[in-house]
Amino acid sequence: MTGPPQTSFGAEGRGPRLLSSGRGAVAVSTASTIVVLAGLVLLFWLAPGSAAVRHTFFNPQDMWKSFIGDPKAGYYSVGAALWLNIRMFLAAEVLILILALVIAVVRQSVSPVMFPIRVVSTIYVDVFRGVPLILVIFAIGFGVPALNLGFISTQSAAVYGVLALVLSYSAYVSEVYRAGLNSVHQSQVAAARSLGLSQWTSLRYVILPQAVRNIIPPLLNDFISLQKDTALVGILGAIEANKAAEIFSDTVFNYSSYVVAAILFLLLTIPLARFTDHLIARDRRRRLAGAPA
Amino acid sequence: MSTAGTVPADGSSTALALSIEGLQKSFGASAVLKGIDLSMASHEVICLIGASGSGKSTLLRCVNLLEPVNAGRIILWGQDITRPGIDQNAVRRHVGIVFQSFNLFPHMSVLRNITLGPVKALGLPRRQAEDEARALLDRFGLLDKQADYPDRLSGGQQQRVAIVRALAMHPRLMLLDEVTSALDPELVAEVLDVIRELASGGMTMLIATHEMGFARDIANRVCFLAEGRIVEDSPPAELFSNPKDERTQRFLRRIIDAGRL
Amino acid sequence: MRRILITAAVAALGTGLAACGSTNAGSGATSSGGTASAATTSCTYAGVQKELYTKGVLTVATDKPAYPPWFEDNNPANGKGYESAVAYAVAKQLGFKNSQVKWAYEPFNDSYAPGPKKFDFDINEISVSPQRAQAVTFSTTYYNVQQALVALQGTPIVTKHTPADLKGYVFGDQVGTTSLAFINSAIQPTQTPKVYETLNDVKQALQTHQIAALVADTPTAQYISSSEIKHSVMVGQFPSSGEHYGLLFAKGNPLVTCVDKALATLNKNGTLAALEKKYLQIYLTVPNLKP
Repeated sequence: MTGPPQTSFGAEGRGPRLLSSGRGAVAVSTASTIVVLAGLVLLFWLAPGSAAVRHTFFNPQDMWKSFIGDPKAGYYSVGAALWLNIRMFLAAEVLILILALVIAVVRQSVSPVMFPIRVVSTIYVDVFRGVPLILVIFAIGFGVPALNLGFISTQSAAVYGVLALVLSYSAYVSEVYRAGLNSVHQSQVAAARSLGLSQWTSLRYVILPQAVRNIIPPLLNDFISLQKDTALVGILGAIEANKAAEIFSDTVFNYSSYVVAAILFLLLTIPLARFTDHLIARDRRRRLAGAPA
Repeated sequence: MSTAGTVPADGSSTALALSIEGLQKSFGASAVLKGIDLSMASHEVICLIGASGSGKSTLLRCVNLLEPVNAGRIILWGQDITRPGIDQNAVRRHVGIVFQSFNLFPHMSVLRNITLGPVKALGLPRRQAEDEARALLDRFGLLDKQADYPDRLSGGQQQRVAIVRALAMHPRLMLLDEVTSALDPELVAEVLDVIRELASGGMTMLIATHEMGFARDIANRVCFLAEGRIVEDSPPAELFSNPKDERTQRFLRRIIDAGRL
Repeated sequence: MRRILITAAVAALGTGLAACGSTNAGSGATSSGGTASAATTSCTYAGVQKELYTKGVLTVATDKPAYPPWFEDNNPANGKGYESAVAYAVAKQLGFKNSQVKWAYEPFNDSYAPGPKKFDFDINEISVSPQRAQAVTFSTTYYNVQQALVALQGTPIVTKHTPADLKGYVFGDQVGTTSLAFINSAIQPTQTPKVYETLNDVKQALQTHQIAALVADTPTAQYISSSEIKHSVMVGQFPSSGEHYGLLFAKGNPLVTCVDKALATLNKNGTLAALEKKYLQIYLTVPNLKP
């Protein structure tokens, strides 16, 4: 006789559809990707101004010349100048991670003793998130020397640049830390304090490690942003990669040096992004491997 | 089996471990504890029962100073821990608490969860803390989990680790806050067994629970909380078969109807 | 089905690559330009109309701010300042009335970008070099350049500036000027010079002691030391290295031929020299430095 009513979910007995799974689907997606990419390349190549653009932006000889540099001809090596960017963002990042954490912890505190410092921290964050970074760099890079404060006023442009970057970015990153601290459930605080751990020890061993794990993607985002913002320090006269590219470009009337600078920045940021993906995946694997018994 | 009324074999005094006098606690405008009076002798096991929201958790969290009290006193081994200027961290080192939602530290292995307190709060050398931790884990059949992270353990295993974590601090008083309420039924028994073992070892315990059968077995006294006060405080045999207060009777009737007693 | 799709994709890609080979030879590059008409264009107002960016109007570009003594009051249209005067003089030679000259703003960095320009020529203290001439077309010279130093009074460089001394100072200049090449090849300082975005930034750096001396062309240096920075002094100028300023045109723009003729006329009839005397205050007593 008839069994229980048949439930049908669509195509009866014909297996997966062409475009949903299996080898056919992979072929289609590969082919369509190639077609789209080829189309874009064609568009670039066939545009009327293409040869001029290729000569001005992607000229291999100029790219090489700008990468190597020739001070006597009036331009510097973009590759060597990148080293200044690297030193600036490494120094800045360390200081930012520390200062931002201090600000975040201060703003999360509730004790009345900390009230004045809390107010100052809030004003600081509001000001430095509101003022564009380039203005901060200007103000510090030209203002501090003008104040004539002895050795404070005679530092190099890169030092003022790092100072400006630290002040500006710490304001942003402190908010990221606060989000991280808030993302750790209050019950973790309760558990840690119940063991008799002090507020600081609980923060250091229980709350912060969890908070930071939760905010690694936005922290990295800000770090990549920082790497690129070191280019702004060029306005203080420091010869960093973007400035070196500009000098080449203005001297020789060719923009290929900018492409070199862009490629170099990508070489810095992409491995960092992949490394973070790896960190996140490893942390997940370690914590969630195997279903609970 | 109840240990009610027996004198501990080691002859230690049964001086008051805990004395709560007129404790009041409000959250904003809502008063949760309206005047709690309770005393506990060393090695006593007291179970707190009552409806949800009756203040059992709040009471426990006041005893280890997680919650500040609004009025009243808590006297722990003769010291008023609610006086201003008390070192709260020191108090908490001697009072262990286990939570309903385990609250293990997810970014640490089981072993590190247990040794964090002894190393950082008690100042034990790491090697010693780890040896003691392993001994405790072994005692409760969890030694093979020492390197695992909490997410890999079942609920019952996590709660037992949480108990071990509290025990590693050598507490003189243990507070258990509905420690089986979040567990699947088949995992409850293993946790109750651990608590039984602690009780028979003489640990002073204040236990908030819904497990009435367990309370009847293990407690020296059972306290029923309602409307922010302890309405009835008697040995279990008496309270469960012969409740005096009408609110206690109503509560027990609901429990029996639900088949939980 | 799968094979059809892959074949289609490969065909599309192959067609594209093949097309590349044939488009390289004659795509939009204007390097050869439309020079056929140049030989027959008469350099009159009517004759140059078809070469103009906007018909009826000579569009001249420069940067902002427009610095003295090349312009005055930051207003190119007032005809004052050496470059403003030269532009109007050239326009007059081509038959344009002053009212038919319009000014456009072109940041220096954009002036050599490929593609059509929004002006007829750009006058902005731009030095001519063979490399630069690959990207744009230059007119003949309208000014021969020498580099000079400006420093604050009382600083060491004012009195100590032998070639060996000069190596030890930190120099500053504006990006895009050829001063940097000059500093590095002629002076060869031991510390890397500082390169700023605008002349104002360089002046600021000098005033706050971040650089020992500012390097600029002589007229600019004279103006700064005499009128703009208090307590500054022009230390001296260096001998010419052959540098000269030219007007900048889009690559292959035929208008350059007529403009060159105009400049030749202005040179021969002494207009350029008179304008130099009026605006650039060339004193023969400017001290000469050896690099």
